[in-house]
Amino acid sequence: MLYFTDIILIALGAALVNNFVLYYFVGICPFIGVSRRIDMAIGMGFAVTFVISIAALLSWTITTFILMPGAPLSKFVAGWFMPPDAAAKVDLTILSYVVYIFAIASSVQFVEMYVRRFYPSLYRSFGVFLPLITTNCAILFACLIIFSHIVGVDNPADVWDLGKSLTLAVFGGVGFTIAITIMAGIREELELCDVPQSLRGAGITLLVAGILAMAFMGFTGVDSGLKKAMTPSPVQAQQSSRE
Amino acid sequence: MIWVTVSLAAATMVGMAVTMSYILGWANRAFHVDVDSRVEAVIDALPGANCGGCGYVGCSDYAEAVVAGKAPVSKCTVGGDSCAAALAGIMGVEVAQSWPYRPIVHCGAHYDDRLDRAEYHGEKKCSAANLVAGVQGCTYGCLGFGDCERACEFDAIHVIDGLATVDYEKCVGCGACAKACPRNIITMIPFKYERMLAVTCSNKDIGDEVKVVCKVGCIGCRACSRFCSLFHMEENLPAIDYDKYCGDFMEELSKAVQKCPRKGLVLMGKPSPRDQEAVSDKTLPRVIEADFKTTVDDTEWWG
Repeated sequence: MLYFTDIILIALGAALVNNFVLYYFVGICPFIGVSRRIDMAIGMGFAVTFVISIAALLSWTITTFILMPGAPLSKFVAGWFMPPDAAAKVDLTILSYVVYIFAIASSVQFVEMYVRRFYPSLYRSFGVFLPLITTNCAILFACLIIFSHIVGVDNPADVWDLGKSLTLAVFGGVGFTIAITIMAGIREELELCDVPQSLRGAGITLLVAGILAMAFMGFTGVDSGLKKAMTPSPVQAQQSSRE
Repeated sequence: MIWVTVSLAAATMVGMAVTMSYILGWANRAFHVDVDSRVEAVIDALPGANCGGCGYVGCSDYAEAVVAGKAPVSKCTVGGDSCAAALAGIMGVEVAQSWPYRPIVHCGAHYDDRLDRAEYHGEKKCSAANLVAGVQGCTYGCLGFGDCERACEFDAIHVIDGLATVDYEKCVGCGACAKACPRNIITMIPFKYERMLAVTCSNKDIGDEVKVVCKVGCIGCRACSRFCSLFHMEENLPAIDYDKYCGDFMEELSKAVQKCPRKGLVLMGKPSPRDQEAVSDKTLPRVIEADFKTTVDDTEWWG
């Protein structure tokens, strides 16, 4: 039950409350670049969601089994060369950034090949933005959040498993899709508006993004409220144990 | 024992590299797309402006159409003849002869020729004035507020004495003026010669009504179509069949020009040596520099 609550809170937090784009302001370049038309925006959202999921899967696996101090694989290999207590301390976390970029780049390349083969029109409309997902900070950001919940966590029970990590990644991607689709809808209307010359293009887009971010501030506190509602209070817990 | 950590890190990177390259290599074969090498060659030969002048979304779209045989090699107006020749070389076909398209203003009336003009105090734009009845008597002809002039990126069309006039030396044939004109009196025609004959009127009304509103407008007398087979009448206006237009008709055409009672058939295009000689003794007027303190900013913003 508690695990289920955590999953819901992580999902809600990633998608709405702490939206990657509108709360943390990561992944702005595709958010501005590909939000001209709704269908392209949705395509971009799905591509990012897909890449973010694969990258999260890879980075969780690598972090848990190789990178973190005392990870099973590195401990096992190091055990051949050094005493077991020293082997348990082998720490490869310095590799995190380079490994994550590696994993992201590979999965983007994979997605690019896939989209090119099966959705040529989507591939054309993405243009340069598909390879640019490689350097999309939203994806690296998701990987680093997962990293921070695996390495350096005091209580072993709080360490994220694959389910929680994937939830964060998928719903982070969903949040990105929501944000970019809303943005594309606004920008399609904006095409018909009489924008002052000096603000046309990126200027008005960034203003709209800022106002949109303020609108998303309305979600603040939803997660903590929900957490309070879903965790049984100590009094209730005592009562249920007495019965 | 630092070397264990270092070699473990190295082994991690090497392991990842091997795994990823294996997966990507497999994907490359599994998701392979056959791209015709000619498509890439054609894309390289095109200017890459993605202007859409050819009627396709962009240069790559046009390149695919060319390779598929759906489009002729000479469609790229930006690249011109050299580009068409390069494409023909790649595709192994002959270039069909093509002519540059240039705009022609189908109106010949200057301010003095137009009758029934009323004072107009609205926004000084053709698109706005066109919505108001009675700005001038002729509801077909040039309004002279210069929407085409503003649309032109090449400074090649100017309103001179109330009439849009193309500067064919600067014109590149982009067609922006033809799109901008709210009365659709500018058309793009193939310039088979430096100078082309054009009908400079768009008024479709009958002769008596035209005479009321214009001193030079076409009265639909059919004289030209009687003397030259290139003309055919459409709604009281002669139209020239530019597909058949060629040097063989020169005699007939010159007769038609002479017979036109309103002098509405005019050669348009680059000035001939005779024209230049005629104005050679005249000096250019002094160019007046704009004073930005007094001129009005044309920024399109209405709050």
